[in-house]
Amino acid sequence: MDDTDNGYAIVIEDLVKKYDDLIAVDGLNLEIKSGELFGLLGPNGAGKTTTINILNGLLKPTKGTAFVAGYDVKKDLNNIKELIGVCPQEAALYKFLTGRENLELFGNLNGMPKNKIKERMDYLLELLDFEEDSRRKVKGYSGGMLRKLNMLVALIHDPKIAFLDEPTVGMDPRARRKVWEFIGSLKSQNKTIILTTHYIEEAEALSDRVGIIDYGELIALGTPKELMEKHEAKNLEEVFLKITGRRILEGI
Amino acid sequence: MKMQKTLALVKMELKKIIREPAYLFLMILFPAVLTLVFGLAFGSPQFNYMAPGLFAYACIFIIMIVAQSFSDDREQGLLKRINITPTTSGEFMGSHIISNTLLSIFQVAIVAVCSLIIGFRPKGGATGFLLAFVLIIVLSICSVGFGLITASVAKSAGTATGLSFIFILPQMFFGTFIPLNDATRMIAYFLPSYYATDALNLIFLEGVPLTELTIWIDLGILSIMSVVIVLLGILLFKKYGKA
Ligand SMILES: Nc1ncnc2c1ncn2[C@@H]1O[C@H](COP(=O)(O)OP(=O)(O)OP(=O)(O)O)[C@@H](O)[C@H]1O
Ligand SMILES: [Mg+2]
Repeated sequence: MDDTDNGYAIVIEDLVKKYDDLIAVDGLNLEIKSGELFGLLGPNGAGKTTTINILNGLLKPTKGTAFVAGYDVKKDLNNIKELIGVCPQEAALYKFLTGRENLELFGNLNGMPKNKIKERMDYLLELLDFEEDSRRKVKGYSGGMLRKLNMLVALIHDPKIAFLDEPTVGMDPRARRKVWEFIGSLKSQNKTIILTTHYIEEAEALSDRVGIIDYGELIALGTPKELMEKHEAKNLEEVFLKITGRRILEGI
Repeated sequence: MKMQKTLALVKMELKKIIREPAYLFLMILFPAVLTLVFGLAFGSPQFNYMAPGLFAYACIFIIMIVAQSFSDDREQGLLKRINITPTTSGEFMGSHIISNTLLSIFQVAIVAVCSLIIGFRPKGGATGFLLAFVLIIVLSICSVGFGLITASVAKSAGTATGLSFIFILPQMFFGTFIPLNDATRMIAYFLPSYYATDALNLIFLEGVPLTELTIWIDLGILSIMSVVIVLLGILLFKKYGKA
Protein backbone atom coordinates (compact mmCIF):
# COMPACT_ATOMS: atom_id res chain seq x y z
CA MET A 1 0.00 0.00 0.00
CA ASP A 2 2.86 2.30 0.79
CA ASP A 3 3.62 2.80 -2.87
CA THR A 4 0.13 4.07 -3.68
CA ASP A 5 -0.64 6.28 -0.70
CA ASN A 6 2.51 8.42 -0.62
CA GLY A 7 2.52 8.33 3.15
CA TYR A 8 -1.06 9.60 3.39
CA ALA A 9 -3.84 7.39 4.74
CA ILE A 10 -6.52 9.92 3.82
CA VAL A 11 -6.57 12.71 1.27
CA ILE A 12 -9.77 14.73 0.99
CA GLU A 13 -10.06 17.06 -2.01
CA ASP A 14 -12.68 19.84 -2.29
CA LEU A 15 -15.26 17.51 -0.82
CA VAL A 16 -18.89 18.64 -0.89
CA LYS A 17 -21.89 16.72 0.36
CA LYS A 18 -25.42 18.06 0.07
CA TYR A 19 -28.62 16.55 1.41
CA ASP A 20 -31.17 18.29 -0.82
CA ASP A 21 -30.41 21.97 -0.07
CA LEU A 22 -28.56 21.33 3.18
CA ILE A 23 -24.79 21.52 2.75
CA ALA A 24 -23.34 19.05 5.25
CA VAL A 25 -19.75 19.13 3.98
CA ASP A 26 -18.68 22.33 2.28
CA GLY A 27 -15.47 22.15 0.24
CA LEU A 28 -13.39 20.18 2.71
CA ASN A 29 -9.65 19.68 2.10
CA LEU A 30 -7.70 17.53 4.51
CA GLU A 31 -4.73 15.19 4.55
CA ILE A 32 -4.11 12.60 7.23
CA LYS A 33 -0.78 10.80 7.36
CA SER A 34 -0.35 7.05 7.68
CA GLY A 35 0.11 6.09 11.29
CA GLU A 36 -1.47 9.29 12.53
CA LEU A 37 -4.12 9.48 15.23
CA PHE A 38 -6.35 12.26 13.97
CA GLY A 39 -9.04 13.86 16.09
CA LEU A 40 -11.99 15.09 14.03
CA LEU A 41 -13.88 17.58 16.16
CA GLY A 42 -16.80 19.89 15.66
CA PRO A 43 -20.22 20.80 17.04
CA ASN A 44 -23.31 18.64 16.52
CA GLY A 45 -24.23 18.64 12.87
CA ALA A 46 -20.82 19.94 11.75
CA GLY A 47 -20.45 17.14 9.23
CA LYS A 48 -18.13 14.68 10.98
CA THR A 49 -20.22 11.56 10.51
CA THR A 50 -21.05 12.58 6.95
CA THR A 51 -17.34 12.90 6.16
CA ILE A 52 -16.57 9.51 7.68
CA ASN A 53 -19.40 7.88 5.75
CA ILE A 54 -18.03 9.26 2.50
CA LEU A 55 -14.59 7.88 3.35
CA ASN A 56 -15.99 4.42 4.05
CA GLY A 57 -18.16 4.40 0.94
CA LEU A 58 -21.62 4.55 2.52
CA LEU A 59 -22.29 7.99 1.03
CA LYS A 60 -21.34 9.34 -2.37
CA PRO A 61 -19.75 12.79 -2.57
CA THR A 62 -21.80 15.51 -4.27
CA LYS A 63 -18.59 17.13 -5.51
CA GLY A 64 -14.89 16.56 -5.05
CA THR A 65 -13.46 13.26 -3.92
CA ALA A 66 -11.33 11.55 -1.31
CA PHE A 67 -8.61 8.93 -1.29
CA VAL A 68 -8.18 6.25 1.35
CA ALA A 69 -4.73 4.62 1.27
CA GLY A 70 -4.39 6.07 -2.20
CA TYR A 71 -7.67 4.57 -3.45
CA ASP A 72 -10.39 6.83 -4.81
CA VAL A 73 -13.67 6.44 -2.90
CA LYS A 74 -15.50 6.97 -6.17
CA LYS A 75 -13.74 4.15 -8.00
CA ASP A 76 -11.83 1.74 -5.78
CA LEU A 77 -14.18 1.04 -2.90
CA ASN A 78 -13.44 -2.68 -2.99
CA ASN A 79 -9.79 -2.04 -2.24
CA ILE A 80 -10.71 0.39 0.52
CA LYS A 81 -13.03 -2.12 2.20
CA GLU A 82 -10.13 -4.52 2.66
CA LEU A 83 -8.26 -1.97 4.76
CA ILE A 84 -10.74 -0.17 6.98
CA GLY A 85 -12.70 -0.73 10.15
CA VAL A 86 -15.60 1.50 11.12
CA CYS A 87 -17.18 2.05 14.51
CA PRO A 88 -20.52 3.69 13.66
CA GLN A 89 -21.92 6.45 15.86
CA GLU A 90 -25.06 4.39 16.48
CA ALA A 91 -24.28 0.89 17.72
CA ALA A 92 -25.16 -1.63 14.98
CA LEU A 93 -25.20 -5.19 16.32
CA TYR A 94 -27.21 -8.37 15.96
CA LYS A 95 -29.32 -8.46 19.12
CA PHE A 96 -30.12 -12.16 19.02
CA LEU A 97 -26.43 -13.07 18.83
CA THR A 98 -24.01 -13.01 21.74
CA GLY A 99 -21.13 -10.55 21.80
CA ARG A 100 -18.73 -13.26 20.71
CA GLU A 101 -21.01 -14.35 17.88
CA ASN A 102 -21.15 -10.78 16.60
CA LEU A 103 -17.37 -10.56 16.66
CA GLU A 104 -17.04 -13.92 14.95
CA LEU A 105 -19.52 -12.97 12.23
CA PHE A 106 -17.73 -9.75 11.37
CA GLY A 107 -14.37 -11.52 11.55
CA ASN A 108 -15.70 -13.91 8.93
CA LEU A 109 -17.16 -11.11 6.82
CA ASN A 110 -13.71 -9.55 6.78
CA GLY A 111 -12.26 -12.85 5.59
CA MET A 112 -10.20 -13.70 8.66
CA PRO A 113 -9.06 -17.31 9.22
CA LYS A 114 -10.95 -19.05 12.04
CA ASN A 115 -8.03 -19.37 14.45
CA LYS A 116 -7.09 -15.70 13.97
CA ILE A 117 -10.66 -14.66 14.82
CA LYS A 118 -10.56 -16.58 18.06
CA GLU A 119 -7.13 -15.27 19.00
CA ARG A 120 -7.97 -11.65 18.25
CA MET A 121 -11.37 -11.94 19.94
CA ASP A 122 -9.87 -13.25 23.16
CA TYR A 123 -7.26 -10.50 23.10
CA LEU A 124 -9.79 -7.71 22.56
CA LEU A 125 -12.30 -9.02 25.09
CA GLU A 126 -9.70 -9.29 27.79
CA LEU A 127 -8.48 -5.81 27.07
CA LEU A 128 -11.90 -4.31 27.83
CA ASP A 129 -12.79 -6.74 30.64
CA PHE A 130 -15.59 -7.97 28.50
CA GLU A 131 -15.09 -11.74 28.50
CA GLU A 132 -18.05 -12.62 30.67
CA ASP A 133 -20.56 -10.26 29.12
CA SER A 134 -19.46 -11.33 25.67
CA ARG A 135 -21.15 -14.69 26.26
CA ARG A 136 -24.54 -13.08 26.77
CA LYS A 137 -26.97 -12.10 24.05
CA VAL A 138 -26.68 -8.47 22.97
CA LYS A 139 -30.42 -8.03 23.57
CA GLY A 140 -29.75 -7.72 27.31
CA TYR A 141 -26.79 -5.35 27.10
CA SER A 142 -26.56 -2.06 28.96
CA GLY A 143 -25.80 1.11 26.98
CA GLY A 144 -22.10 1.01 27.77
CA MET A 145 -21.79 -2.68 26.90
CA LEU A 146 -23.35 -1.98 23.50
CA ARG A 147 -20.79 0.73 22.89
CA LYS A 148 -17.89 -1.50 23.90
CA LEU A 149 -18.96 -4.29 21.60
CA ASN A 150 -19.71 -1.79 18.84
CA MET A 151 -16.09 -0.67 18.95
CA LEU A 152 -14.63 -4.16 19.21
CA VAL A 153 -16.56 -5.29 16.14
CA ALA A 154 -14.95 -2.42 14.22
CA LEU A 155 -11.50 -3.61 15.24
CA ILE A 156 -11.87 -7.40 15.12
CA HIS A 157 -9.92 -7.68 11.85
CA ASP A 158 -7.12 -5.40 13.01
CA PRO A 159 -7.75 -2.84 10.24
CA LYS A 160 -4.96 -0.64 8.91
CA ILE A 161 -7.22 2.41 9.01
CA ALA A 162 -9.92 2.78 11.67
CA PHE A 163 -12.77 5.28 11.78
CA LEU A 164 -14.08 5.61 15.30
CA ASP A 165 -17.20 7.80 15.45
CA GLU A 166 -17.66 8.73 19.11
CA PRO A 167 -16.54 5.31 20.36
CA THR A 168 -16.49 6.14 24.06
CA VAL A 169 -19.95 7.67 24.51
CA GLY A 170 -21.69 6.13 27.50
CA MET A 171 -18.67 4.18 28.74
CA ASP A 172 -17.73 4.38 32.40
CA PRO A 173 -14.44 6.14 33.27
CA ARG A 174 -12.49 2.93 33.67
CA ALA A 175 -13.67 1.52 30.36
CA ARG A 176 -12.97 4.82 28.67
CA ARG A 177 -9.44 4.87 30.02
CA LYS A 178 -8.87 1.35 28.74
CA VAL A 179 -10.09 2.41 25.32
CA TRP A 180 -7.71 5.36 25.39
CA GLU A 181 -4.84 3.07 26.26
CA PHE A 182 -5.84 0.70 23.52
CA ILE A 183 -6.22 3.42 20.91
CA GLY A 184 -2.80 4.74 21.97
CA SER A 185 -1.29 1.29 21.49
CA LEU A 186 -2.65 1.10 17.93
CA LYS A 187 -0.48 4.06 17.08
CA SER A 188 2.67 2.11 17.84
CA GLN A 189 1.48 -0.51 15.32
CA ASN A 190 1.43 2.14 12.61
CA LYS A 191 -2.37 2.12 12.33
CA THR A 192 -4.16 5.23 11.20
CA ILE A 193 -7.07 6.28 13.39
CA ILE A 194 -9.69 8.91 12.71
CA LEU A 195 -11.44 9.61 15.97
CA THR A 196 -14.45 11.83 16.52
CA THR A 197 -15.47 12.70 20.03
CA HIS A 198 -17.17 15.38 22.08
CA TYR A 199 -14.89 14.66 25.01
CA ILE A 200 -12.37 17.27 23.98
CA GLU A 201 -9.90 16.31 26.69
CA GLU A 202 -9.88 12.82 25.17
CA ALA A 203 -8.94 14.23 21.78
CA GLU A 204 -6.35 16.50 23.38
CA ALA A 205 -4.67 13.61 25.16
CA LEU A 206 -4.74 11.12 22.30
CA SER A 207 -4.48 12.95 19.00
CA ASP A 208 -1.34 13.70 17.05
CA ARG A 209 -3.31 16.37 15.26
CA VAL A 210 -6.89 17.57 15.41
CA GLY A 211 -9.09 19.17 12.82
CA ILE A 212 -12.09 21.20 13.91
CA ILE A 213 -14.95 21.51 11.45
CA ASP A 214 -18.00 23.70 11.64
CA TYR A 215 -20.81 23.91 9.07
CA GLY A 216 -18.89 21.43 6.94
CA GLU A 217 -15.77 23.61 6.70
CA LEU A 218 -12.39 23.05 8.28
CA ILE A 219 -11.80 25.96 10.66
CA ALA A 220 -8.71 24.77 12.54
CA LEU A 221 -5.97 22.20 11.97
CA GLY A 222 -2.86 21.36 13.92
CA THR A 223 -1.46 19.61 16.96
CA PRO A 224 -3.43 20.29 20.12
CA LYS A 225 -0.47 22.31 21.39
CA GLU A 226 -0.26 24.46 18.25
CA LEU A 227 -3.95 25.25 18.41
CA MET A 228 -3.85 26.15 22.09
CA GLU A 229 -0.92 28.49 21.50
CA LYS A 230 -2.47 30.08 18.46
CA HIS A 231 -5.75 30.80 20.21
CA GLU A 232 -4.16 31.57 23.58
CA ALA A 233 -6.20 28.92 25.32
CA LYS A 234 -5.25 26.78 28.29
CA ASN A 235 -6.83 23.67 26.86
CA LEU A 236 -8.32 22.38 23.65
CA GLU A 237 -11.88 22.72 24.87
CA GLU A 238 -11.36 26.45 25.21
CA VAL A 239 -10.13 26.55 21.61
CA PHE A 240 -13.23 24.64 20.55
CA LEU A 241 -15.54 27.05 22.38
CA LYS A 242 -13.74 30.09 21.01
CA ILE A 243 -13.83 29.22 17.36
CA THR A 244 -16.94 27.11 16.76
CA GLY A 245 -20.46 28.42 16.52
CA ARG A 246 -19.25 31.73 15.07
CA ARG A 247 -22.22 31.94 12.79
CA ILE A 248 -24.52 31.86 15.78
CA LEU A 249 -22.52 34.53 17.60
CA GLU A 250 -22.23 36.76 14.56
CA GLY A 251 -25.82 36.17 13.57
CA ILE A 252 -24.99 35.08 10.03
CA MET B 1 -12.49 -20.35 2.07
CA LYS B 2 -14.56 -18.86 -0.72
CA MET B 3 -17.87 -19.63 0.92
CA GLN B 4 -16.77 -18.29 4.30
CA LYS B 5 -18.75 -15.04 4.20
CA THR B 6 -21.88 -16.61 2.76
CA LEU B 7 -21.85 -19.42 5.31
CA ALA B 8 -21.30 -17.02 8.21
CA LEU B 9 -24.35 -15.03 7.07
CA VAL B 10 -26.48 -18.14 6.61
CA LYS B 11 -25.60 -19.25 10.12
CA MET B 12 -26.56 -15.85 11.49
CA GLU B 13 -29.87 -15.79 9.57
CA LEU B 14 -30.83 -19.22 10.86
CA LYS B 15 -30.01 -18.17 14.43
CA LYS B 16 -32.22 -15.14 13.91
CA ILE B 17 -35.16 -17.36 13.05
CA ILE B 18 -34.56 -19.82 15.84
CA ARG B 19 -33.90 -17.26 18.57
CA GLU B 20 -36.53 -14.62 17.76
CA PRO B 21 -39.86 -15.87 19.13
CA ALA B 22 -41.85 -13.89 16.57
CA TYR B 23 -40.05 -15.47 13.64
CA LEU B 24 -40.14 -18.89 15.21
CA PHE B 25 -43.89 -18.61 15.67
CA LEU B 26 -44.41 -17.59 12.06
CA MET B 27 -42.18 -20.37 10.92
CA ILE B 28 -43.38 -23.41 12.81
CA LEU B 29 -46.75 -22.72 14.25
CA PHE B 30 -48.32 -20.88 11.38
CA PRO B 31 -48.00 -23.56 8.68
CA ALA B 32 -48.88 -26.29 11.17
CA VAL B 33 -52.01 -24.56 12.44
CA LEU B 34 -53.06 -23.60 8.95
CA THR B 35 -52.79 -27.15 7.69
CA LEU B 36 -54.58 -28.65 10.67
CA VAL B 37 -57.40 -26.12 10.46
CA PHE B 38 -57.93 -26.80 6.78
CA GLY B 39 -57.69 -30.50 7.38
CA LEU B 40 -60.28 -30.50 10.13
CA ALA B 41 -62.60 -28.09 8.34
CA PHE B 42 -62.70 -29.88 5.00
CA GLY B 43 -62.07 -33.48 5.90
CA SER B 44 -60.35 -36.19 3.97
CA PRO B 45 -61.36 -36.27 0.32
CA GLN B 46 -61.65 -32.51 -0.07
CA PHE B 47 -58.55 -31.68 1.90
CA ASN B 48 -56.48 -33.91 -0.38
CA TYR B 49 -57.09 -31.56 -3.30
CA MET B 50 -55.83 -28.63 -1.25
CA ALA B 51 -52.66 -30.18 0.18
CA PRO B 52 -50.32 -29.48 -2.78
CA GLY B 53 -51.58 -25.88 -2.81
CA LEU B 54 -50.75 -25.61 0.88
CA PHE B 55 -47.20 -26.70 0.12
CA ALA B 56 -46.93 -23.83 -2.34
CA TYR B 57 -48.52 -21.47 0.16
CA ALA B 58 -45.81 -22.26 2.72
CA CYS B 59 -43.22 -21.12 0.15
CA ILE B 60 -45.09 -17.89 -0.56
CA PHE B 61 -45.43 -17.04 3.06
CA ILE B 62 -41.69 -16.51 3.48
CA ILE B 63 -42.06 -13.28 1.44
CA MET B 64 -43.15 -11.67 4.68
CA ILE B 65 -40.29 -13.10 6.69
CA VAL B 66 -37.72 -12.00 4.10
CA ALA B 67 -39.15 -8.48 3.86
CA GLN B 68 -39.29 -8.13 7.62
CA SER B 69 -35.84 -9.47 8.20
CA PHE B 70 -34.23 -7.14 5.64
CA SER B 71 -36.07 -4.11 6.99
CA ASP B 72 -35.16 -5.00 10.57
CA ASP B 73 -31.48 -5.31 9.74
CA ARG B 74 -31.63 -2.06 7.82
CA GLU B 75 -33.25 -0.21 10.71
CA GLN B 76 -30.53 -1.44 13.06
CA GLY B 77 -27.78 -0.14 10.75
CA LEU B 78 -26.61 -3.68 10.11
CA LEU B 79 -26.91 -3.58 6.35
CA LYS B 80 -24.62 -0.57 6.33
CA ARG B 81 -22.23 -2.33 8.61
CA ILE B 82 -22.08 -5.36 6.32
CA ASN B 83 -21.72 -3.02 3.37
CA ILE B 84 -18.48 -1.64 4.80
CA THR B 85 -16.89 -5.11 4.95
CA PRO B 86 -15.40 -6.73 1.83
CA THR B 87 -18.53 -8.89 1.49
CA THR B 88 -19.82 -8.72 -2.10
CA SER B 89 -23.51 -8.32 -2.86
CA GLY B 90 -23.38 -11.74 -4.52
CA GLU B 91 -22.25 -13.34 -1.26
CA PHE B 92 -24.80 -11.32 0.69
CA MET B 93 -27.75 -12.13 -1.58
CA GLY B 94 -26.59 -15.72 -1.93
CA SER B 95 -26.71 -16.16 1.82
CA HIS B 96 -30.29 -14.88 1.96
CA ILE B 97 -31.40 -17.14 -0.83
CA ILE B 98 -29.81 -20.13 0.89
CA SER B 99 -31.10 -19.42 4.39
CA ASN B 100 -34.64 -18.58 3.29
CA THR B 101 -34.86 -21.54 0.97
CA LEU B 102 -33.83 -23.79 3.85
CA LEU B 103 -36.49 -22.13 5.95
CA SER B 104 -39.07 -22.65 3.27
CA ILE B 105 -38.19 -26.33 2.87
CA PHE B 106 -38.59 -26.71 6.59
CA GLN B 107 -42.03 -25.11 6.47
CA VAL B 108 -43.13 -27.29 3.61
CA ALA B 109 -41.95 -30.29 5.61
CA ILE B 110 -44.17 -29.20 8.50
CA VAL B 111 -47.13 -28.82 6.18
CA ALA B 112 -46.37 -32.20 4.62
CA VAL B 113 -46.19 -33.98 7.96
CA CYS B 114 -49.45 -32.39 9.14
CA SER B 115 -51.12 -33.30 5.85
CA LEU B 116 -50.02 -36.91 6.17
CA ILE B 117 -51.39 -37.02 9.70
CA ILE B 118 -54.73 -35.73 8.48
CA GLY B 119 -54.84 -38.44 5.85
CA PHE B 120 -53.33 -37.00 2.68
CA ARG B 121 -51.85 -39.83 0.59
CA PRO B 122 -49.84 -38.41 -2.31
CA LYS B 123 -49.28 -40.28 -5.54
CA GLY B 124 -46.05 -40.05 -7.50
CA GLY B 125 -42.90 -42.03 -6.82
CA ALA B 126 -39.44 -41.05 -5.69
CA THR B 127 -38.70 -39.14 -8.89
CA GLY B 128 -41.98 -37.29 -8.49
CA PHE B 129 -41.00 -36.25 -4.99
CA LEU B 130 -37.62 -35.11 -6.24
CA LEU B 131 -39.25 -32.91 -8.85
CA ALA B 132 -41.65 -31.57 -6.25
CA PHE B 133 -38.62 -30.67 -4.14
CA VAL B 134 -37.12 -28.75 -7.06
CA LEU B 135 -40.41 -26.89 -7.62
CA ILE B 136 -40.52 -25.91 -3.97
CA ILE B 137 -36.96 -24.60 -4.08
CA VAL B 138 -37.60 -22.54 -7.20
CA LEU B 139 -40.79 -21.05 -5.77
CA SER B 140 -38.94 -20.23 -2.54
CA ILE B 141 -36.21 -18.40 -4.43
CA CYS B 142 -38.93 -16.48 -6.20
CA SER B 143 -40.36 -15.50 -2.80
CA VAL B 144 -36.97 -14.19 -1.69
CA GLY B 145 -37.12 -11.94 -4.76
CA PHE B 146 -40.60 -10.67 -3.82
CA GLY B 147 -39.36 -10.13 -0.26
CA LEU B 148 -36.48 -8.03 -1.56
CA ILE B 149 -38.82 -5.95 -3.70
CA THR B 150 -41.05 -5.40 -0.67
CA ALA B 151 -38.12 -4.39 1.54
CA SER B 152 -36.88 -1.94 -1.11
CA VAL B 153 -40.21 -0.18 -1.31
CA ALA B 154 -41.06 -0.25 2.40
CA LYS B 155 -39.13 2.12 4.60
CA SER B 156 -39.74 0.34 7.90
CA ALA B 157 -40.22 -3.18 9.18
CA GLY B 158 -43.88 -2.46 9.98
CA THR B 159 -44.71 -1.28 6.47
CA ALA B 160 -42.78 -4.21 5.04
CA THR B 161 -45.09 -6.66 6.76
CA GLY B 162 -48.20 -5.00 5.37
CA LEU B 163 -46.79 -4.49 1.91
CA SER B 164 -45.69 -8.09 1.63
CA PHE B 165 -49.36 -9.08 1.43
CA ILE B 166 -49.52 -7.37 -1.97
CA PHE B 167 -47.48 -10.28 -3.21
CA ILE B 168 -48.78 -12.94 -0.82
CA LEU B 169 -52.55 -12.53 -1.18
CA PRO B 170 -52.97 -12.73 -4.99
CA GLN B 171 -50.67 -15.71 -5.13
CA MET B 172 -52.60 -17.32 -2.31
CA PHE B 173 -56.06 -16.71 -3.78
CA PHE B 174 -55.25 -17.46 -7.40
CA GLY B 175 -52.44 -19.93 -7.26
CA THR B 176 -52.49 -22.24 -4.29
CA PHE B 177 -55.15 -24.20 -2.49
CA ILE B 178 -58.24 -22.34 -3.70
CA PRO B 179 -59.93 -23.91 -6.76
CA LEU B 180 -59.89 -21.74 -9.89
CA ASN B 181 -62.61 -20.91 -12.39
CA ASP B 182 -62.06 -19.57 -15.91
CA ALA B 183 -61.85 -15.94 -14.81
CA THR B 184 -59.51 -16.42 -11.87
CA ARG B 185 -57.36 -18.71 -13.98
CA MET B 186 -56.63 -15.76 -16.27
CA ILE B 187 -55.13 -13.92 -13.30
CA ALA B 188 -53.36 -17.03 -12.10
CA TYR B 189 -51.40 -17.31 -15.35
CA PHE B 190 -49.39 -14.26 -14.22
CA LEU B 191 -48.51 -15.69 -10.82
CA PRO B 192 -45.51 -17.93 -10.11
CA SER B 193 -47.33 -19.93 -7.45
CA TYR B 194 -49.91 -21.09 -10.00
CA TYR B 195 -47.30 -22.99 -12.00
CA ALA B 196 -45.82 -24.57 -8.88
CA THR B 197 -49.26 -25.65 -7.62
CA ASP B 198 -50.29 -26.92 -11.05
CA ALA B 199 -47.21 -29.13 -11.28
CA LEU B 200 -47.53 -30.30 -7.67
CA ASN B 201 -51.16 -31.22 -8.29
CA LEU B 202 -50.22 -33.24 -11.35
CA ILE B 203 -47.51 -35.10 -9.43
CA PHE B 204 -49.26 -35.68 -6.12
CA LEU B 205 -52.94 -35.90 -7.06
CA GLU B 206 -52.89 -37.41 -10.52
CA GLY B 207 -49.57 -39.21 -10.25
CA VAL B 208 -48.72 -38.35 -13.84
CA PRO B 209 -45.44 -39.83 -15.11
CA LEU B 210 -42.48 -37.50 -15.45
CA THR B 211 -42.75 -37.79 -19.21
CA GLU B 212 -45.79 -35.50 -18.97
CA LEU B 213 -44.79 -32.30 -20.75
CA THR B 214 -47.04 -29.99 -18.70
CA ILE B 215 -44.94 -30.48 -15.57
CA TRP B 216 -41.82 -29.39 -17.38
CA ILE B 217 -43.54 -26.40 -18.96
CA ASP B 218 -44.73 -25.41 -15.48
CA LEU B 219 -41.22 -25.74 -14.10
CA GLY B 220 -39.78 -23.79 -17.03
CA ILE B 221 -42.19 -20.86 -16.67
CA LEU B 222 -41.76 -20.83 -12.89
CA SER B 223 -37.97 -20.80 -13.26
CA ILE B 224 -37.99 -17.93 -15.72
CA MET B 225 -40.36 -15.92 -13.52
CA SER B 226 -38.18 -16.61 -10.47
CA VAL B 227 -34.97 -15.51 -12.13
CA VAL B 228 -36.59 -12.29 -13.37
CA ILE B 229 -38.14 -11.51 -9.98
CA VAL B 230 -34.96 -12.24 -8.02
CA LEU B 231 -32.87 -10.11 -10.37
CA LEU B 232 -35.42 -7.32 -10.17
CA GLY B 233 -35.41 -7.64 -6.36
CA ILE B 234 -31.62 -7.46 -6.17
CA LEU B 235 -31.53 -4.50 -8.53
CA LEU B 236 -34.22 -2.56 -6.66
CA PHE B 237 -32.67 -3.40 -3.32
CA LYS B 238 -29.23 -2.24 -4.40
CA LYS B 239 -30.67 1.00 -5.68
CA TYR B 240 -33.30 1.88 -3.09
CA GLY B 241 -33.23 -0.64 -0.30
CA LYS B 242 -29.91 -0.28 1.41
CA ALA B 243 -30.21 3.10 3.10
N1 LIG C 1 -29.60 11.43 5.90
C1 LIG C 1 -29.63 12.76 6.08
N2 LIG C 1 -30.57 13.51 5.48
C2 LIG C 1 -30.60 14.84 5.62
N3 LIG C 1 -29.73 15.55 6.34
C3 LIG C 1 -28.76 14.88 6.98
C4 LIG C 1 -28.65 13.44 6.88
N4 LIG C 1 -27.59 13.04 7.61
C5 LIG C 1 -27.05 14.16 8.13
N5 LIG C 1 -27.74 15.26 7.76
C6 LIG C 1 -27.43 16.64 8.13
O1 LIG C 1 -26.09 16.91 7.77
C7 LIG C 1 -25.46 17.71 8.75
C8 LIG C 1 -24.21 17.00 9.23
O2 LIG C 1 -24.57 15.84 9.95
P1 LIG C 1 -23.50 14.85 10.59
O3 LIG C 1 -24.22 13.68 11.06
O4 LIG C 1 -22.39 14.66 9.62
O5 LIG C 1 -22.98 15.72 11.83
P2 LIG C 1 -21.95 15.34 12.96
O6 LIG C 1 -20.83 16.31 12.85
O7 LIG C 1 -21.58 13.92 12.89
O8 LIG C 1 -22.79 15.66 14.27
P3 LIG C 1 -22.87 14.92 15.70
O9 LIG C 1 -21.75 15.46 16.52
O10 LIG C 1 -24.17 15.37 16.24
O11 LIG C 1 -22.78 13.46 15.47
C9 LIG C 1 -26.49 17.95 9.84
O12 LIG C 1 -27.07 19.21 9.62
C10 LIG C 1 -27.51 16.87 9.62
O13 LIG C 1 -28.79 17.30 10.01
MG1 LIG D 1 -21.89 12.32 14.10
